[in-house]
Amino acid sequence: MNVQSEASRNFSRRGFLGLTAAAAAVPLLAACGGGSSSSSAGGAIKFWDMPWATPAYNDAAKKITEGFSGANSKASYQIIQWNNFYQTFSSAIASKTGPAVSTGGGFQAFQFEQQGQIAYADKVIDALKKNGQFDDFLPGVLEPFKSDKGYVAVPWQLDMRPLWYRKSLFDQAGVAVPTDWPSLLEAGKKLKGIGAVGFATGSGAGNNIGNHLMIMMMINNGGGVFTKDGQLDVMNDRNVEATEFLLELVSNGIIDPAAVSYTSDNLDAQWKNKKAAFGMYVLGVPQRVGDTSGDLLVASPMAGPHGDKATLVFPNNIMMYKNTPSQDASEAFLTYYMGQLKSLWQQKLMNALPVFKSITELPEFASDPNNVKIVKEYQPIAKTFAAQGTSLNANLAVLDGGQALNQFTQTILTGKTDAKSALTAFQTGLQSVLKK
Amino acid sequence: MSSTTAQSGLARARRGLAPGGPGGGSQHRSGGLNRKSKLSGQTKRTFFWLLLPSIVLLVLINGYPLIYAGVQATHDGSLIDTGNFVGVDNFATVLSSPAFWKAAQFTLWFTIVGVFGSWLVGLGLALLLRTKIPAGGTFKVLLLLPWVVPIVVSSTAWNWLVATPESLIPSIFRNLGLGTPLFLADPHLAAVMVMVFKVWVSFPFMMMMISAALASVDTTVYEAASMDGASKWQQFTQITLPMIARSTYISWILMTIFCVNDFPTIYLLTGGGPVDATTSLVVLAYRSVFQDFQTGPGVAIAFLMTLTLVVVSVFLYRQIRKSSVE
Repeated sequence: MNVQSEASRNFSRRGFLGLTAAAAAVPLLAACGGGSSSSSAGGAIKFWDMPWATPAYNDAAKKITEGFSGANSKASYQIIQWNNFYQTFSSAIASKTGPAVSTGGGFQAFQFEQQGQIAYADKVIDALKKNGQFDDFLPGVLEPFKSDKGYVAVPWQLDMRPLWYRKSLFDQAGVAVPTDWPSLLEAGKKLKGIGAVGFATGSGAGNNIGNHLMIMMMINNGGGVFTKDGQLDVMNDRNVEATEFLLELVSNGIIDPAAVSYTSDNLDAQWKNKKAAFGMYVLGVPQRVGDTSGDLLVASPMAGPHGDKATLVFPNNIMMYKNTPSQDASEAFLTYYMGQLKSLWQQKLMNALPVFKSITELPEFASDPNNVKIVKEYQPIAKTFAAQGTSLNANLAVLDGGQALNQFTQTILTGKTDAKSALTAFQTGLQSVLKK
Repeated sequence: MSSTTAQSGLARARRGLAPGGPGGGSQHRSGGLNRKSKLSGQTKRTFFWLLLPSIVLLVLINGYPLIYAGVQATHDGSLIDTGNFVGVDNFATVLSSPAFWKAAQFTLWFTIVGVFGSWLVGLGLALLLRTKIPAGGTFKVLLLLPWVVPIVVSSTAWNWLVATPESLIPSIFRNLGLGTPLFLADPHLAAVMVMVFKVWVSFPFMMMMISAALASVDTTVYEAASMDGASKWQQFTQITLPMIARSTYISWILMTIFCVNDFPTIYLLTGGGPVDATTSLVVLAYRSVFQDFQTGPGVAIAFLMTLTLVVVSVFLYRQIRKSSVE
């Protein structure tokens, strides 16, 4: 049988044309489908939230969201995973299928504000002033969000970087918990003698703690990456001094020589396995590593060589987008949601500091002495990545997750550099990617 | 029997069994041409209409992202906003960056070791499994595991094996008096470790490709070659390798593409570090777009990678055609 007869037998032209029309219509149908989906969601406020804690947190947040009923609107809840979250938000916003309100990355609101996608929250702030919540904010948490055009977002939790220590290791080494840099160096040497790590950190795949440590030590010495008016200022003397000290910790083996490759899991294991004695980490380390015996405690902030005391904080925030079915409804939802935050801490679902004083006074929060110490001793001295400036901006997202800081951190942790060379490379790297 | 006789015997054996050998191949091609010439205009039109939906879909699926990526690569925008047209500035920026060339160098080594390392291991195991060993089927399944297990799981397992001085492998080295190597903290060792991990993940694919190719080789060819006095090595180099050459080139093309485009193997194990020691081009492109928010340069890197892959694939494809003709 030849090809032609085979084709003729199994194929009718009319049938084929029908098939072709159907195939060609697929993209059109898909496009129509997208459009109708978008408009059908038009009535409710879409709230996108991240997995900030265990799944129980998201369940509770969903319940709060679905309990909203105001400004003739309802709200729907969607979890967005951290993996590629910026891409997820960007794609959705570009295609006008994004949220009306969301949590997200610490500097995400400023990135999208730069691209004209953010709705300012001034009316929400006014509403919080009216209902008394404005005066309940902890000192200094709202200011970083105020720009010339208005409030870019509203903070709802603080991701602090306190110092932790394991008491039993200090007892074993017979040394006091460090209170300043010289005592850290001294304690680190003695802790090394018992096989413990004197200043635990990590900068492996997906682990930003090392990056945060670098900036924390700079601002702990009165330095920082930016000036008060937001200009890049990497090479200042305080930063050089802090970097030299970090290199000294590395050369003395007080920072683990393998720390450069440690993931968050590796670092957790060090704390859990009684290897890490002291270090900067996140909130709730005892719960995180499963050791609530009371041996893991928050240390008081260290003083730098010039007497400065500071740590790093990431004020996580809720932002509103211009693409909303109703701006009034977005504002009503955000005001409502801020009023419901207390329940998340009451249920002990949060692994972060609250932004409201009243929540820090809740028995569920204040029953943990580590929490109390962080609020009392760290919150007042905490500074953002913007230090020495105060206002957050889109450039900080590049600093936080970008290659320049990560490369600087890894260079320091490998110890194969000097402070000025490493800082120069850091500054050059930042200059090449920061928007002027 | 002389070596010449053995050589001619091997050549005879290859000629007789090679698919599309000189005689059969030419007849086949000639038949194809005759059939082609018989196609009427109506049939050609029918074929065209039959192909059209697929062509339209292919253009939409591949063409649109390609065009959009081209736009991004020539603009200074973000993922949301296209930005201003900057011509080839992004390509110039990328090509003048030391980070790009460092990543390109690592990508080259990673690909060479990934392709040939996994091929050698796969070939060895495929040959071993061809012999009658007890529980060969079970071994085959077990050997497939590195390919089957999700990369997130295997990278975590490898991390626990090597990451800290207390991990299993460094502990073994220490107990053997070989010091405590920091496999992921030392830039050179980390690069080696990522390549070894890639070979470990990829060899089952190669093993399956080669096993399939070996299965099509008639064992009587080896019997004939043995009778002609060919040694085992001669049989391997002059029968086995030529007979699986086509499959080998295909597997090399595929593995080259897998290696150059491999993001998770590297990113999950080392994140591209320490100090960029394991940053490949695809990791660099990812970091540029999603960490430094430099969309244009990031996409430009991806374009350069694609161009390189096309050149390499065309070269290897020509080798396949050459091996088919031979």
